[in-house]
Amino acid sequence: MKLEQNRIYIKDIQFGDVTAVNNGILTVNKEEMINFLKEDPKVKDVKLDIARPGEKTRIIPVKDVIEPRVKISGGKGFSGVTQTTTQLGDGIVNILYGAAIVTVGDIVGFQEGVVDMWGEGAKYTPFSKTFNLVVDIEPAEGLEPHMHETTVRMAGLKAAEFVGEAGRDAKIDETLTYDIGNIDEETKKYPNLPKVLYVEMLISQGLLHDGYIYGVNSQLILPTLLHPNEEIDGAVISGNCVAACDKITTYQHQNNSAILDLYAEHGKTINFIGVIITPELTTLQGKFRSCDYTAKLCKTLGANGVIVSEEGYGNPDSDLLMICKRLETAGIKTVLITDECSGWDGASQPLADTTPEAVAVVSGGNVSHVVTMGPADKVIGNDKAIATLSGGWEGCLEADGSLKCELNAVIGATSEIGFHYCTAREY
Amino acid sequence: MNKINDFSIVTNNPIVKEKYSQVIFVDGGFEDVLIKTRDLVHSGHELINHPLGASIRMFFSPYRSIIVSSKSTELVDNEHVSIMESSIISYRKQMENRMPDIVNSQDYAIIDSELLDSSVEEMKRFYN
Repeated sequence: MKLEQNRIYIKDIQFGDVTAVNNGILTVNKEEMINFLKEDPKVKDVKLDIARPGEKTRIIPVKDVIEPRVKISGGKGFSGVTQTTTQLGDGIVNILYGAAIVTVGDIVGFQEGVVDMWGEGAKYTPFSKTFNLVVDIEPAEGLEPHMHETTVRMAGLKAAEFVGEAGRDAKIDETLTYDIGNIDEETKKYPNLPKVLYVEMLISQGLLHDGYIYGVNSQLILPTLLHPNEEIDGAVISGNCVAACDKITTYQHQNNSAILDLYAEHGKTINFIGVIITPELTTLQGKFRSCDYTAKLCKTLGANGVIVSEEGYGNPDSDLLMICKRLETAGIKTVLITDECSGWDGASQPLADTTPEAVAVVSGGNVSHVVTMGPADKVIGNDKAIATLSGGWEGCLEADGSLKCELNAVIGATSEIGFHYCTAREY
Repeated sequence: MNKINDFSIVTNNPIVKEKYSQVIFVDGGFEDVLIKTRDLVHSGHELINHPLGASIRMFFSPYRSIIVSSKSTELVDNEHVSIMESSIISYRKQMENRMPDIVNSQDYAIIDSELLDSSVEEMKRFYN
């Protein structure tokens, strides 16, 4: 598959008469965009706001973050979700690089997910560096929780497509090409390089804990093989909005760091042969089946090495380590990417499970690490949600309005696909 | 477990208590549900779904529902025992400095019930 990503550098977002990009300034026609999103009768109202890097703005509770793009050729938008099903991964896509759609929607009262655009909090979330168009969705009254979640998820994706359309004829600043042929072709080209697969685990457990591939809920799949281009072209969507620090937002799927880093090494140190999406199920039988099947796919495809990334914490730790055990036992070198839940002092056992086969583990940081974030001048979303963050222990809300919270409340802070700034180091 | 109806739900969630008939109700917190389930697994009940949630936030839930087989056998599954014991350790560690988020109890009860429904659906795809 060959995908050309055309980047249009975005240096600011403003509201204006037309939705367009001129000289790196993205203007958005607020009324048109709101009316477009309100075409869904389940959307009662939409509020739009802009958050720029450096502003003393706090966004909460963030549901998802999506990169605005438009497909020029080879498939359409979010295939199988907002658009009819087409094959993704080939063709040309124009990207408003540096802009993000951030959806806010408090589906339940305990949602976390804070993005601070300045100060201490900004150091931890990758979305403090993007120009954010914040879409706050108020659903129609009486929607049951599943429909509410779907409505907010769909509105975010449609918003990204609406804004992405502005990139169709804009001046292109940079073009990146992602081109990997079939396994046979690549192995002939690089016969001496180790064949490497990337296994991406997705939380697949129900309301606020779901992921989608071409619109298919990952609860319902056996582990499945994707070409890396499919994921970075929008085939994988987040439906998860509880684990703020280590949920994989749609933006992070579109820019999956593990995939991009493996791409960068393809043909140099490795032969990157594909991506396996593995569901993290809830039943033990389901976990055994997914883990066996994942290991079987890796063996069948002849992988010499596998990178496995986790999503979430708790029961998915069991899947992560079971996959590791199966692969290492089969002689396949395995590297795990996870994050740690090691207590405030960082000294506790980091995962809920262990296995001696896990000999190469990359940490995305300690989710229990406590940070203090200063008072915001402006809060976008629901400021009551801040009380949820500050309700954990005594003294977490300082007298000056500063907020003390664990990193688990900060969007993308300890990303388990490496799309962030934290790591853990021995010293 | 052989048949789809041979399961029980260990729960402290009042919504689940109303919704399902096969409930072992625990008058206590999340940890008490873990301990009750551990005791059942030690006495030969099969553990059907994982006792922990998939995100840190769900550790702060005042409610938890875990599925076990309703019948016990003389054969205790050591792997299930180990999962229960390590889950209790993880839960205690996670809650060292935190309290259950009782302000949002009602929402947690709804989500716990929804996630349980998903687990039951998933279970039905294995046992029928």
